[in-house]
Amino acid sequence: MTDAAAELLEAYASGKPVPPLRDRIIRAGDVDAAYRAQSAQVETWLAAGRRPVGAKIGLTAPAVQRAFGVYQPDFGVLFADMAVPDGAEIDPDTLIQPRVEAEVAFVLGRDLPEEQVTVADVLRATDFLLPAIEVVDSRIAGWDISIVDTVADNASSGRYVLGTTPRRVSDVDLRLCGAVLESAGEPVSVGAGAACLGNPLHAVAWLATTLAGNGSPLRAGDVVLSGALGPMVPVTPGASYEARISGLGSVRANFAKGAKQ
Amino acid sequence: MIVDALDRALTTATELASGSFEVGEPYSAQQDLVERRLARGERIVGVKLGLTSRAKMQQMGVDEVIWGRLTDAMRVPDGGVLDLAPRIHPKVEPEVAFLVRDGEIAAIAPAIEVIDSRWLDFKFTLAEVIADNTSAAGFVVGAWQPVPDGVDNLGVLLEVDGRVVEIGSTAAILGDPRRAFADAKRLAGGLEDEWIVLAGAATAAVAVGPGQTVRVEVEKLGTAALKVSA
Repeated sequence: MTDAAAELLEAYASGKPVPPLRDRIIRAGDVDAAYRAQSAQVETWLAAGRRPVGAKIGLTAPAVQRAFGVYQPDFGVLFADMAVPDGAEIDPDTLIQPRVEAEVAFVLGRDLPEEQVTVADVLRATDFLLPAIEVVDSRIAGWDISIVDTVADNASSGRYVLGTTPRRVSDVDLRLCGAVLESAGEPVSVGAGAACLGNPLHAVAWLATTLAGNGSPLRAGDVVLSGALGPMVPVTPGASYEARISGLGSVRANFAKGAKQ
Repeated sequence: MIVDALDRALTTATELASGSFEVGEPYSAQQDLVERRLARGERIVGVKLGLTSRAKMQQMGVDEVIWGRLTDAMRVPDGGVLDLAPRIHPKVEPEVAFLVRDGEIAAIAPAIEVIDSRWLDFKFTLAEVIADNTSAAGFVVGAWQPVPDGVDNLGVLLEVDGRVVEIGSTAAILGDPRRAFADAKRLAGGLEDEWIVLAGAATAAVAVGPGQTVRVEVEKLGTAALKVSA
């Protein structure tokens, strides 16, 4: 196991974030080393019996890319135990510094090709879409992340909430669909499909091509969180967030007050 | 006085420094300013809302929208040319427009608003921007159409020269642009038939330069476009 993986696993266990890894453990810009650190954690989790269910794509929105000065997408592994039912309470004390994002979730009905995946392949393979809220979190103190920090940290994944009414991919305008996160009746983040690498389909095709290149192509049944459609929003304990995506419906993440606050 | 100075700034495309004039009652100043335009033969064709996003309200320290008046001279036909000469430092914003009949919404269209503050570097107090007719400088309205079910979360793209530069949703306009219509009706003391209501920006404003092509695309509503003069 790498030092980075060990530190991050300890951060999950203790709930205490670690200083940025870049230039301390992983050379800034050495994305391959960062993915090796991510894989080492994933191996540990698989050995512990966690069930992988798909992948998330990060750093897809211009607003998020600008915020971190990172201009390439990345990915992390989703596990079944990270899923929270629509509207269920999330205990913020089980997370370090959660933020929420509205996203489109793709659920695949068939395997994707093992190389050079196109948008047409993604459209053919998608069984249905769901609206989603991704609860991102960072094991790096203060969200002070560069590309290697977030890649090593499983792409800053935390939890996710999927909506429950499937929509067909042909029924949604994935480029133009409006997206809004609301809390207490006020929009706190707005965007549209195009904010995700121009179109969430582009993001999924990028992920599928990248994973196929790594020898682990996306398979039937996989869930893909395709990336934020607007700026991420820091979670206020006790708050309720509803994501509405035009054509896809809505989904809600409720946060308990938490004992820490 | 401020109305003379703003009218001169408007007609000569020059800027005023914030703080250099007593504004007095800002909406009276605005009305006087717009009446100068009417005296030159322009005609009121509608109203526009400003500060319709929570972020902008907080920036100006208010919790109420502001409004200004639109005249026929400000209108640029869809796909037409925005003349830079009479403007100082124009910016564009993607919006939706409502058409008024019997005081209600009769139709909706994608729209571009051109704002161009007569205040130096867009730096102004709340009273100064109200007196300056809320920076109104131009607008384009795309094709009118019946109001679809739910206009509270339509995706909005602002493109310059074929590239997307801002992305948002009509949710940014008071959570639902129909609220802007209701505010316009209340603040303007009623709306006349065939007036246009520009509901407010769905994204941040973007500065435009010579020769650029600007296009707004709104989910379910289509496009509105303009070409900036050379």
